[in-house]
Amino acid sequence: MAGLAAAFGSGAMTNAVSELELSDTIFIIGSNTATSHPLVATRIFRAIENGGKVIVADPRKNQIADFAELYIQHNLGTDVALLNGMMRVILDKNLQDDTFIAENTEAFQAFKDALDDFSVEEASQITGVSVADIETLATLYAEAGSASIVYCMGITQHTTGVDNVKSLANLAMLTGNIGKLGSGVNPLRGQNNVQGACDMGALPNVYTGYQPVTLGPANKKFAQAWGVDELPSNIGLTLPEMLSGIEKDEVKALWIMGENPVVSDPDANHVVKALEKVELLIVQDIFLTPTAKLADVVLPGTSFAEKDGTFANTERRVTRVRKAVDPVGDSKPDWEIIQDISNRFGFEMTYTSPQEIFDEIASLTPSYAGISYDRLEGPGLQWPCPTKEHPGTPFLHKDGKFTRGKGLFHAIGHKPPNEVVDDEYPFWMTTGRVYAHYHTGTMTRNSESLDFEVREGFLEMNPADAKTLDVCDGSQVKMASRRGEILTKIMITERVSPGLVFMPFHFEEANVNKLTNPAFDPIAKIPEFKVCAVKLEKA
Amino acid sequence: MIDRVKEKINELLSEGSVKGVVALVTANGHVAPCLFQKGDDLDTLCLGDTEKSGDARYPLNRVLCTIARQYPDDVFGVLVRGCDERGLYGLYRLNQLEPDKVVPIGIPCPESLAQACECKKPYPDDIVAGEKFEGISQQGVEDMDNKDLSTRFSFWMDQFSKCVKCYGCRNICPMCFCRECSLECEDLVSKGDLPVDIPVFHLTRAMHMADRCIDCGLCEEACPSDIPLRLLYKKTAEIMNTEFGFTSGINKNEKSPLSLMGPAPEK
Amino acid sequence: MDYRNTLTTCTYCGCGCNFFLESLDGKLTGTIPCKTSPVNEGKLCIKGWNVHQFVQSERRLKQPLLRKNGELTEVSWEEALAFTASKLKEIKEANGSDAIGFFASAKVTNEENYLMQKFARAAIGTNNVDHCARL
Ligand code: SF4
Ligand code: SF4
Ligand code: SF4
Ligand code: SF4
Repeated sequence: MAGLAAAFGSGAMTNAVSELELSDTIFIIGSNTATSHPLVATRIFRAIENGGKVIVADPRKNQIADFAELYIQHNLGTDVALLNGMMRVILDKNLQDDTFIAENTEAFQAFKDALDDFSVEEASQITGVSVADIETLATLYAEAGSASIVYCMGITQHTTGVDNVKSLANLAMLTGNIGKLGSGVNPLRGQNNVQGACDMGALPNVYTGYQPVTLGPANKKFAQAWGVDELPSNIGLTLPEMLSGIEKDEVKALWIMGENPVVSDPDANHVVKALEKVELLIVQDIFLTPTAKLADVVLPGTSFAEKDGTFANTERRVTRVRKAVDPVGDSKPDWEIIQDISNRFGFEMTYTSPQEIFDEIASLTPSYAGISYDRLEGPGLQWPCPTKEHPGTPFLHKDGKFTRGKGLFHAIGHKPPNEVVDDEYPFWMTTGRVYAHYHTGTMTRNSESLDFEVREGFLEMNPADAKTLDVCDGSQVKMASRRGEILTKIMITERVSPGLVFMPFHFEEANVNKLTNPAFDPIAKIPEFKVCAVKLEKA
Repeated sequence: MIDRVKEKINELLSEGSVKGVVALVTANGHVAPCLFQKGDDLDTLCLGDTEKSGDARYPLNRVLCTIARQYPDDVFGVLVRGCDERGLYGLYRLNQLEPDKVVPIGIPCPESLAQACECKKPYPDDIVAGEKFEGISQQGVEDMDNKDLSTRFSFWMDQFSKCVKCYGCRNICPMCFCRECSLECEDLVSKGDLPVDIPVFHLTRAMHMADRCIDCGLCEEACPSDIPLRLLYKKTAEIMNTEFGFTSGINKNEKSPLSLMGPAPEK
Repeated sequence: MDYRNTLTTCTYCGCGCNFFLESLDGKLTGTIPCKTSPVNEGKLCIKGWNVHQFVQSERRLKQPLLRKNGELTEVSWEEALAFTASKLKEIKEANGSDAIGFFASAKVTNEENYLMQKFARAAIGTNNVDHCARL
């Protein structure tokens, strides 16, 4: 998100999901689309049916790779090198869109200069992908009439996550594949309302609609609207910073709503320690999650089926959530809980419905200003939607008119992952999802049918490695990183190359996040879930 | 046509001959399945046509089964097209619904829809309003039959390998109601991984539907991977027809040959 | 007899599929994908199709819990809310606004995220608000 915002001025998916059907080439990198975003995969399958080509780059082979014109398995944590290699090819073959670059972008020269002493051979050597394949990838992307990039956590969950995203933005601008139908740089949001949580200012540096909290008109506007003399103008702590703030005795109370950091965050042992230490831990959730078990007070919220509201999906589309049944037991909608506490705390809130809250949001947020519950009857609206008459915006940066003015190229070089394999920890380990589960499994593992599909965690391993370790399908292994160890069953598959293992993170009893590396990207603060070094032993 | 349908429903509800009517409604800017009861406003009732006719059809018989299971003594009306009526006949035969507890409200499909569905009988036996169009030949099946074996084989394997194992084809199907589903039987289909076992998953379902599928096409419309499931089931139905002279749901009282033991009956 | 289909948006991935939650007499009985939704056109993945199953699960939290003598114990809303508000006040007074942190969520609604950051900023006076989008 930070990467796209820096390049284009907006951190959101640039194009609508349905436009993928119209793309001539779709470049999928770091996204297991059929598993994690099946309804985006629908559009990709349709693009293929329409004669479009798909190219896939992923260290772990996924389902769509079988349909790809070209699938390449690059080494873990070498995305920048791969993309720079592709751009080297594009420049060498003169496939760039000079007019687009000249009219709509800036800092191209610096970007180009930085690539000068980077060769395709070097890219090949770092990524483990042949020069010929890098050339084919580059040509398939650059020669397409319209080409889209689709990426997900395989790109962002690295210490170089922002660099990775900026490189994708470079690639799109270099070939003019942005601001038109069926093109763009499209991050797929992992969780249903990530887009909405960001839009709503659930971030330490911005209010709703990405209005900065630092001193300025927005700070004043919000203070006035909320009826307070002043609002804090220092940028707040990010999630990992709050956890380390607890250790440093700076953070004393934590209120967690609907999150389960004990299972979802890297270096779980460390997270547990922090949550045990904090003086007041308030957890608001619908199940007694491992995080809730550590709380001082647990407040039962309601599920999406028991309340009204809105979500914003990955393509910036705001749609309604409607109450279908009454809350179970004594549970209450989360907005009511916050309001109740706020009133007792001495800050008055008198909302009678989520609709009233939404109207306040619209009145304070330019990109949501034209949205109202009435207008959400029907297909929903894609922001920016600045006025009551505005139809919403399916794709951003139309005709190269970037939100930030001109698109900004960034000169970026390859950096290795924070942790690399060595003699003691000789395997690369990466994490991800399985088709039947979601995130920390809180909801999906409480669903019979989904639990039936995949009941427990497993570790994917190449047959060659299985042979060396003398283990077979279903055997138990002990897997350890510098931070912890877990026992897990193994699944032998060619999907991962020798030396690489993969494990889904939905399962608290085989919590792979005890092993993952909390080192994070310096800008986006996203931890490096996708790479760490482990050792394996027959259990 | 819709006015006549509303009139009919109004009649049934106000005279009390049915407890409710399962039909479609326009609400929140979308089309939804709905149970109309006495006193409900019928203005919002619709037939499931938005941009094209029949593009917002839902498995109303499935809804009816859900309600009837809770209220077995009540009589319900249900909006039916040709395929839905075939479905009712099948559900009677399979003891999922009782004929004397159901009042079908039949509407015929326009030619365009019949064409798109390649429907053998685009109208129910009892029609409340509207004009009938005759059935259409199964061109899709014929075209596929004309391809050679290896083309057909790789076509289907390619299609099946797009499957994301959503079970949508089963979940939406008005004729699927088994408590223990063969698709979840681990001896047949392995679980836990994508892509799903092919072609076992899809052929298991095709076999299991052989004497049940009433060719409504809802499964194909629900498939996120656009797998031409309907074509597969049409072919299965064709085999049932040539081998046993049986077509699911065409005759109200016909028994399925698959429920009889012994050698195949004389054609 | 109360049979309903309530149009809503999926709580799982970012595709944001629209479907009806089907209920009969207050019990969720199924999920039916919305055909006229431009997002999913009548299709869903396995998670969406089964989303109604967890909602009324026996394991749901039904009552507030408060840690008493080391154990999480069921208490009334009154007690839980009073405890939470007074404890927050106490910590704010003793350690300042920035000693309090908030994890909002990608799983709750826009309105709820908005309200949490409003409470953090306007009532507590801190910008320590984040959610796990990064994760
Ligand atoms: S299958 Fe036949 S009866 Fe059913 S909708 Fe299509 S045309 Fe109408
Ligand atoms: S066409 Fe599909 S949904 Fe309809 S009855 Fe046959 S299998 Fe079921
Ligand atoms: S609907 Fe399509 S994708 Fe889903 S299980 Fe059936 S065949 Fe597979
Ligand atoms: S139904 Fe599946 S694809 Fe659609 S939003 Fe839910 S989880 Fe995502």
